[in-house]
Amino acid sequence: MREGWYPIAACDDLPAAHIYQTQLCDEPLAVWRAADGHVNVWQDRCPHRGVRFSIGTVHANELRCRYHAWRFGSGSGACTFVPAHPDRKPADAIRATAYPSVERAGLVWTRLAGDQAAPPVLLPSTVPMRAMPVNRAEDAVVAAISAAEMPGVHLFVQPVSAGRTVIRGLAEDAALLGEHDDALERLRRTLESA
Amino acid sequence: MLLYEWAALPECYAVRLLAAILEVPLTLRHVDYYPAHEHESDAFLTLNPLGTLPVLDTGETILLDWLGALTYLAARHDPERRWLPLEHTDRMASLLEWLSVARALSESAGAARLHDSIGQEADIAGCRAKAHALLRHLERHLWFGERAGCSWLLQNEHPTIADLAVFVNVILCEEGGVERLDYPAVRRWTDRVKQIPGFVVTSGVFPAATLEVKQGPGA
Amino acid sequence: MPGGALPEEFGERRSIKIVLANRDRPRENAISECEAAVDPIIWNDWHVVGDATELRSYRPLTTILLGIRLRISRDLDGAITVTREDHGPLLSDVRHGLVWACLGRPTQPIVAIPELDEADRCVVTAGAVGVHASAGRVVENFLDLGHLGHVHAGYLGEEAESAVAPYVVAPLPGGGIHASGCKVFQPVASPSAKSGFTVDYRYKVERPFTACLYKSAVSQPARFDVIYLFAQPVGEVETIVHALEIFVEDGVRPAELRAFQQFIFLQDKPILENQNPKRLPLGPRMEMPVLADKSSVAYRRWLVDLGVTWGTTSAQDEVVAG
Repeated sequence: MREGWYPIAACDDLPAAHIYQTQLCDEPLAVWRAADGHVNVWQDRCPHRGVRFSIGTVHANELRCRYHAWRFGSGSGACTFVPAHPDRKPADAIRATAYPSVERAGLVWTRLAGDQAAPPVLLPSTVPMRAMPVNRAEDAVVAAISAAEMPGVHLFVQPVSAGRTVIRGLAEDAALLGEHDDALERLRRTLESA
Repeated sequence: MLLYEWAALPECYAVRLLAAILEVPLTLRHVDYYPAHEHESDAFLTLNPLGTLPVLDTGETILLDWLGALTYLAARHDPERRWLPLEHTDRMASLLEWLSVARALSESAGAARLHDSIGQEADIAGCRAKAHALLRHLERHLWFGERAGCSWLLQNEHPTIADLAVFVNVILCEEGGVERLDYPAVRRWTDRVKQIPGFVVTSGVFPAATLEVKQGPGA
Repeated sequence: MPGGALPEEFGERRSIKIVLANRDRPRENAISECEAAVDPIIWNDWHVVGDATELRSYRPLTTILLGIRLRISRDLDGAITVTREDHGPLLSDVRHGLVWACLGRPTQPIVAIPELDEADRCVVTAGAVGVHASAGRVVENFLDLGHLGHVHAGYLGEEAESAVAPYVVAPLPGGGIHASGCKVFQPVASPSAKSGFTVDYRYKVERPFTACLYKSAVSQPARFDVIYLFAQPVGEVETIVHALEIFVEDGVRPAELRAFQQFIFLQDKPILENQNPKRLPLGPRMEMPVLADKSSVAYRRWLVDLGVTWGTTSAQDEVVAG
């Protein structure tokens, strides 16, 4: 699994009681903010029968799987309740696979492997741009954004899978978000028609 | 009012959904679209020569198109004029534009789903590509709308029939092999639609967390 | 039924050996790539490939069974013909309102359904519904009791009454598994139910991709309505689901039974399509069952005993890749 921290969501992508769905280096992820503010980044898969957490529901500090309504607690990811056996405590081993999360510069970052500490994002005040998913490999996208001239914009990439990448930008001037979005759309069109 | 329908069709769901929200009683008349192809029978073609579903018999007229049915229900049964803002020309223009998108989604994402589910013929690659193009358009619109404080398709405080018409094919598109992974603003919007008071699900749609499941397979 | 390109996942199989013709089977050509990739027990079984209701004389159907493209047509006299597009060997039959095919040499007949001989039965098929899931996942979902109160809340179960009491699972004498003693409170057990009641459930799995449910009949709770599920394996992670309902006659119209079956299955469909891996995990500790999953555990174990690998996985590292 790929080491290092990658941006996978904007902080504003996580309204209350919503489960955000994404993928990093072929790892499907379910991302949700609990009532206590903790941002959970979980492998998008219930350990019971493999159903995606991202089609489930959030209740305060718990995520409920859509299939059998098993509940999993924010933070540890431990299973807290199995409705089929309401009087039994679920085994400790039953838990979501949880990855670490940090919020920096309005983005949510996670790390799938390794133990590198989350690097600071040293930028002037910025706002996150609309994420731009591109059906091209990471290398091609990185080359394109390196060649592109976008002053006042700082770009990061989130590799989704072998042929898909999300461009995540931070803009210094919120008034230019529409223009920057147009520029990224042009970039995407160029990349995808190549 | 009588609704001829096959419950699994998103266009039929859209009419049931608006009727439920507006608390308009509907009598449901099940048409065995699949596998019996009842919509191709002489009896049905007499009712609707286009052979499509749903058909809404309002008691005064027979409406052969789902978007016409939504328009009728909103015009007749929403005294506050929120679901169909007829007095506002610019909003109506925008609403019609989104109804076009809804129809295009029906013909792309909807067709892909029927292809994968019940073997209906379709240019499956073309349908999926078109669905993604529409979803990209929807995503950008909703994202910038959220920034402007709007929760719905029209720059309104209230959803309109456009939201429901677009919603029904979006919420079921994954069954046709069209993923929603790339569309987080669309996903947030579908959650909001599910929280509209009076919202009902159909098979294949999951309710929002606090909602009581209310639906029926047909009368 | 997907009539387009072969499902993508079909090609991603473990390595395929081409076996050249040998003296034991002088009349046959080289075993096809498709056959070589399928467990003989699956290849040589009868599978449902179509619903006779759907056939029109002017519109043949195409479908795919284990990677092989089939064409099903009905002529003006009503006779149904099934052929392989590649002209390979094929046996076919029409039984119980369903179209059956066997690509190999059947070691067992088409399942016998004695309830069909009872005079007061309403018999309904529900069409062929494609689902992006493996046949094993489809069968397992059909056997599952714990989801009835959630996925089918208000009909086959209730959220507040979703505890699963202990039940019994035993092997069938002819092979397969049998679950009995299951009790489920169902607000709407079937279209004719006027109120909720506690339904007795029994399951039978006689073939790897065939399952049968017996549930208390609404009008005569001492008898059972019967629902057969036939999972047609299209590709390893693509299945077409056929259902055959054999209900005790109680005035419900066949169209209502069919609509209810479709309604229920279409609630399961997005669950099935959101399971990862799509292949049914057979390895130990790949997924975490609880006591309520007894029939699923027995089903997976039986597939392992039979040596079924089609649409399954034992590799831990396939858990997320799907």
